[in-house]
Amino acid sequence: MPHASGGRDRWSTPLAEPPEDGDAALRAALGEVLDPELPISVMDLGLVYGVAFEHGTARVDLTFTATACPCMDFIKQDVHDRIAMEPWVEAVEINEVWDPPWTTARISHAGRRKLRTLGVGV
Amino acid sequence: MTAGRESARPGNGIGSAEAPGVPSEPGPLARHILSLADTKRLLGIRYSDWLLGSPSLETGIAASSMAQDEWGHARLLYSMLKRLGFDPVAVEQDRPADRYYSAPALDAPFPDWAAFVAATVVVDGALAVALESFSHGNFALARSRVPKMLAEEEYHRQFGAAWFARLAGAGGEGAEHLERAARAMLPATLAWLLPDDSAYEAVVAECDIWEADRVGERYRDRVGAALGGVGIRLEEIRPAREGWDSERRRGPGAPGKEAVERARGDRNRALFVE
Repeated sequence: MPHASGGRDRWSTPLAEPPEDGDAALRAALGEVLDPELPISVMDLGLVYGVAFEHGTARVDLTFTATACPCMDFIKQDVHDRIAMEPWVEAVEINEVWDPPWTTARISHAGRRKLRTLGVGV
Repeated sequence: MTAGRESARPGNGIGSAEAPGVPSEPGPLARHILSLADTKRLLGIRYSDWLLGSPSLETGIAASSMAQDEWGHARLLYSMLKRLGFDPVAVEQDRPADRYYSAPALDAPFPDWAAFVAATVVVDGALAVALESFSHGNFALARSRVPKMLAEEEYHRQFGAAWFARLAGAGGEGAEHLERAARAMLPATLAWLLPDDSAYEAVVAECDIWEADRVGERYRDRVGAALGGVGIRLEEIRPAREGWDSERRRGPGAPGKEAVERARGDRNRALFVE
């Protein structure tokens, strides 16, 4: 069943069975979570510094584009909600990190292409 | 989920008296963090006063952006206090004005645009150097968080340097106002940046931040050229140490009531979202 995040993106149906590669499944799920201001995912934006799935707990190292980002809580909530909808995930832990500092260099090639098509130069 | 927060939270040792489970008095490192965080919080408020009414729409946008940066930095700095046993929320929301550790140059609103520009060099520059020193120490949270702040501060430096040079180069009344504002801010700001008390020495020893002499050199490197544009030589400015409050790491006085109410969010208590 699709799920709306921020009113713009649509989340895929949760996996019925636990995946063989939990980290990869987490990354795929986070690839569906859009930044609230830019129409690319938090993965493409380079905000996810690490993921780990262990003993039912999903851990995400997450940064933000700016220290005063007004969307921090929205992003954290969306990340949490998208992962928590997977039945094989028992707990979600989001770790806010600032090292190394985020810059536009962390945007993926795919993210850059998407932004360019929308007239956003990075 | 919305939860109205009570207007008077339990004390935390920084703002008021007893509080179970937290230190009764902030140690040197906590005071150092408060000195940085409170100054950023107040600087953000003073910048925000100029979102409208600055010389152009563009400068208003810059003021808005810099104000937002300062509050973002303050938020990260206050949250470091949790590692030291304090409740950052209580620290942010429950202290009276006379428990603020902010630089005295920000106690009152900037009277004019020249004062705003002077502050971007004198006060924001002092903050940036203090943060740079902090990021080179051994406090892990500072090492991991402050570099992002410094990257954002680079835009403040560029803005301040450009406007300072612009006003100074134009001469006349604008340059006079700028010089007057910078000279008024410098003595207390130098005392704030370069404290010569045992509390600062304790932070140097505990956290391996730069000693005051090195901080002073870095500050001269950062702002000396700009100040020279209005004939100010930093070597000639004496830090204002009279009435120094070693507990609050600042000179006498306190930020104005209205600014503290904004800093604490007094009017929004019922609207806070947990």
